[in-house]
This record gives sequence, structure tokens and C-alpha cells, in this order.
Amino acid sequence: MTTVPTTAPRISLKDVALTRGTRPVLRGLSLTVNVGEIYALLGGNGAGKSTTVAALLGFLKPDAGQILVADIDPVENAERARREIAYLPENVALYDQLSAYENISYFMALSGTEPSREAMDAALDDAGLQPEARPLRIGGFSKGMRQKVAIAMAVLRDVPVLLLDEPTSGLDPRATADFNALVTRLKARGTAILMVTHDLLGAADCADRIGFLAAGQIVEEVVPSKGMDVLALHHRYGEVAAA
Amino acid sequence: MTSLIRHDLRLLLRQRIAVPTLVLVLILSAAAVWAGMAEVARQHDIIARIKPQQVEDVKAIRAWVSKDGDAGNAAYYTFHATWDAPSPLAFAALGQRDVAPFVLRVRALALESQIHEGENYNAEMALPGRFDWAFVLTYLAPLFLIVLLHDLKSGEREAGRLDFLRVSAVHERALWARRIGLRVGLIAGGLILPLLVGGLLSGAAAADLLLLSTMVLLYLLFWTVLCLLVSRRGMGSVANAATLAASWLTLTLILPALALLAVNGAFPVRQGVELTLAQREAVHSGWDKPKEQTMEAFFRQHPEWRGTKPVEGGFHWKWYFAFQHLGDLSVADQVRAYRHGLEARDLWTERLAFVLPAIGTQYLSHRIARTDLTAQLDYQDRIRAFHKRIRTFYYSYIFNDVPFGAEDFGRAPLWSGDADRR
Repeated sequence: MTTVPTTAPRISLKDVALTRGTRPVLRGLSLTVNVGEIYALLGGNGAGKSTTVAALLGFLKPDAGQILVADIDPVENAERARREIAYLPENVALYDQLSAYENISYFMALSGTEPSREAMDAALDDAGLQPEARPLRIGGFSKGMRQKVAIAMAVLRDVPVLLLDEPTSGLDPRATADFNALVTRLKARGTAILMVTHDLLGAADCADRIGFLAAGQIVEEVVPSKGMDVLALHHRYGEVAAA
Repeated sequence: MTSLIRHDLRLLLRQRIAVPTLVLVLILSAAAVWAGMAEVARQHDIIARIKPQQVEDVKAIRAWVSKDGDAGNAAYYTFHATWDAPSPLAFAALGQRDVAPFVLRVRALALESQIHEGENYNAEMALPGRFDWAFVLTYLAPLFLIVLLHDLKSGEREAGRLDFLRVSAVHERALWARRIGLRVGLIAGGLILPLLVGGLLSGAAAADLLLLSTMVLLYLLFWTVLCLLVSRRGMGSVANAATLAASWLTLTLILPALALLAVNGAFPVRQGVELTLAQREAVHSGWDKPKEQTMEAFFRQHPEWRGTKPVEGGFHWKWYFAFQHLGDLSVADQVRAYRHGLEARDLWTERLAFVLPAIGTQYLSHRIARTDLTAQLDYQDRIRAFHKRIRTFYYSYIFNDVPFGAEDFGRAPLWSGDADRR
């Protein structure tokens, strides 16, 4: 893992404005995610969640403001930034003609690492994919199984920043719980995790902070705590999304 | 890097369309090489059969000509075989060899009609050209490349994998370069491998094979760049495929056809058969002209025979061969114009080759394989030089009134085959 001064946030967006086409999507968005922190970004459709992720991946250049991932500008230094990022998209599309092992091996090779079979098994154990499925081509895998393969890749990458785009969408409750436990373990490793999600319960369960995004900016940020009134938060979230 | 190539190769070979495409490239290329080699073997066989037949022919003529020792009869009846053996690379690009004669038996008579009467071929049959390796390269290889490259990026986008792939790849440009390189490399391999095998079996020069292989890479590079330019527009795979198919149609069929039509229109060339007719008319008119006039015209061209015994009586071989030769001279301007027309067309085709890659590939293939117009005209030049030696040989008997004995047949010039090839 790359060493970054622990005081500096691993993910930093400062007054970011970004327009897609003619529509302003982000309007002065600021947020930070620190080492060993899980930040859940919640928002309704069109709030700018996916745009935020795309900007962090260096796919979109902001009109104004500053984005840093592990102290690297992802637009100016896309390749350097991507060395520090693991990304889990909402719909994990891997190569159907390759097995779980082969997919992991391929994507890891692209990121510059060659994990051993033991390391892959350990990551797949963490992700919860059954051993008998691992040598099979993933063409016949369910969405949840594919998600687990991608999660194993994120675990294997062992990078300081993890971006999760609706990671528990389509997972059953048990898989969701397993996933949240895994994310918590990654957090314990010092990974800064930004999770874009609709799942307020899951976010409240594992996130250190929850930011509510509406009309391209954080309108409210809460720190979940034991005994927190999630229902009230849910109502609040609904109001924010509507806004 | 090696590991990534192995990974990408496995990925490619597991794609549903990739293996059939690559196998088809290999099969078509191998079949084209095989067909070309079969045609070249057929031509070699014909050439090989000419030599013993020539011996038999001469033997038959010698049997009766040597009875009265008439050199005119020997000159008139004896055919002399010429041939243009295919080059070792002719199998790859048959070029003019399927329409232009590669074997010609000439006599000491007027030559131009003998050269051009062999050009009476069915133009419609000649139009599509031969199925040879150059055809596979020029017309089919771009299609296979399009199949493998049209959805290189759009396919990933449509599968929802593009962002994940881009984020995972530390060196994104290297990823695409590797994938493109693999596809182009495998297609190039499918094209070049049979060529090399054919070249080795035929004894082709390594430098020529290298040139052709380089040409393959350059041609594929052109189509690769075109595929990338189209895919940069960010359209879907189907739109990319349609655009590239239209480009293929335009660049390999429509534009070359229009360009060559324009060249042929700009440089009209009389057909060889017209030359044949014009010369025959000139020769036949020789029968009606006064002998003295004919001989005087001939002696102006060949003063070395002026002092020989004058022509007397009704028919004499001196007079006959004199007006035969004058027949050739009478169409000399037309022959020159015909040749200049062909050379002008060739020059413009060469210029078009720089603009239209399909024409360039065909043109260069034929040039390297020595099956182009230059090679055809070179063969004609060698025939003319050989014909001159034949005439000179027989003239020495006819004009000096020397009897032509059986042993003199053995003194006649022999075709030196490819020794005089330019």
C-alpha cells in the first residue's frame, strides 16, 4: 500500500463544479474521506453521485474546484491515480468467457500485480464466493456472485482508496451483511472508502459519516452513532432526496 | 508484459467470433497460396512441355526441308519457342500472367501480330482477376480486421465494462495497444505464414518475402488506423461496423474502379488485336507492291544485304521476308503508341497507389512478384530481341543463297529463357 501522510484525507473534493452537456451537475461539492474511514454518499437520482465517482476516477474534468485522490489529481495524472484506486461499479461486468480465477488474474495483471492462487482464494474467501464456483466461467454467475469476484479484486488490490458505486444493490440481505463486514475489515486496514449508495440502513451500519447529496452539493452530513434514529434519518434522507 | 499478452490472447481466443475469423484468414490465405502455386506449377509444366515439343517439331521440319536445302522453307515453317517462366513469387500475385501470354512460339515472319494475337482473351473473364494471395490481402483482410476491431472499445462500453477496465488498467494506452497489436498481429500472421511457406517452397528471395510482409503490415496498419478513427466517434458497435463496411466498399472497390476507369479514359489504348489486323493488312499489301520498291525499302533498313543477288522471278523468299519485316516497321508507330499508352496508364496507376491503399497493395504485390505490366513488356522486348536474332540467322542463308542443311537447324538461336530478364 502506498504510504500517504495519515493526516491528509485520501479523498478530497473542494468546491467542485462540473457540468455535463449544458446541465450543471456538481455545484461546489466539498467532501473528504480520511484514512481508515468509510464515507457513505447518499442522494436521489440525478443528485450527482455517479458524476462524483466518475470525476474521482478521472473520467470527467471539473469546471472548477480541486479533486485529489491520495494526493493525486486524477484528471491530470490518471494513471498514477488509478494505481491508488480500487473501484467497484454498481453493475459488475466481467468477462463471461473467463473463470473467476482468470478474471481476477487478468484484472490484477492490468493493475500491475500477479496474485498467487492462494492469495486469490483468500480474497475470494473474504468476498464469500464458494470454492466450487471459482474455476467456472462466470457467464453463468448471478449478479451477487459477480459482485463477489469484483470485491475479491478490490481486496487484492490493497490500495489506499476504494470507490464503491451502489455496492449492495442486488445483493441478498446475508450477502449485504457479509459485504458490510468485509468493508469494515478493509477500513481497519486503513483504506479510505467512499460508498455511493441508496441503502441507508447499510450505510448507517458501516459508514463513519454519511453525506447527503442534493443538487450537486452536500446538504447535510451526519455521523451515525449507536442508538441513532435511522427512521428519522430515513425521513430526513427522503426530504433531502426530494430537495 | 508477457503475462498481459498471454491474458489478452486467451481473452481474444475465447471470444465467439475471433477464432473462426482467424481460422478463416489462415484457410483463405493458405488456399490462395495453394491456388497460386498450382497455377504457377501448371505454367511451369506447360513451359517444360514446350521444350521437347520444340525438338520434335524441328525434327519433323528438318526431315523434309533438308531434302532440298531451301532456307526459306526452314525460316517459314520453323517455330521457335519463347517462354516467360514465372518468378518464384508469382504464386502470391499472378497479376498479368493469367491474361498475358507466357509462352509464344515465333517464326521469322512479321512479329507484332504474333505477339498481340495472343491477347484475344475474354475481358469479362479477366475482370474479376485471379483468386490469389494478393486478392486475399487486398480485398478480404480489411474485412477480417474490421470484424476484430470494430467493437474493440464500443463492445466494452456496451457490456458495461469500460469504466471498470479503464480504472483497472494502470497503463490504459498499453491495454488498447496490446489488444490492437494482438488482433493485427494474428491476422498478419495468418496472411504471412502461408506466404512464407509458399515462398520457401518456391525458392523466393528472402528480401522479396520481407518486402511483401512489410507491405502486409503497412496495409493492415492503414485499416487499423481507419478502424480507430471510426471508433473514436463514440458510436455503437453496429454503427462502427456499418461505417467501416461502407469505407471498405468505397476504398477497395468503388474508388479504385472509378480511378482506373478515369485513367483508362484519359489514356485510350488501341487493343492488341487492332495492331495485329493493321500489321496483317500491311503485310498482305506487300504482295501487290512492286518487288523493287519493297526490296529498296528493306535495304534501307538492312544495307548489309543490299549487295546480294537481286530478286528475280515470281516468288522469292528474300522478297517475302522483306515485306514481312516491312509489315512490322509499318506498325512501329502504333506499337510505340500502344506501349506508351500502357506505360502512361501504369504510371498513373502507380500514382494512384500512393492515394488508394487497395491499388497500392495490388500494384506493389505485382511489382515484387514480377507479374506486372513491366514484366509483361519486358517479355515482349526479349521476344523482339530474340526474333531479330532469328531473322538475322535465316537472312544469312536466304540472302546469301546458302543451302540450309540438316545440321543448320542446330545452329539456330535458342531462347535463353529468363537469362535476359530485366
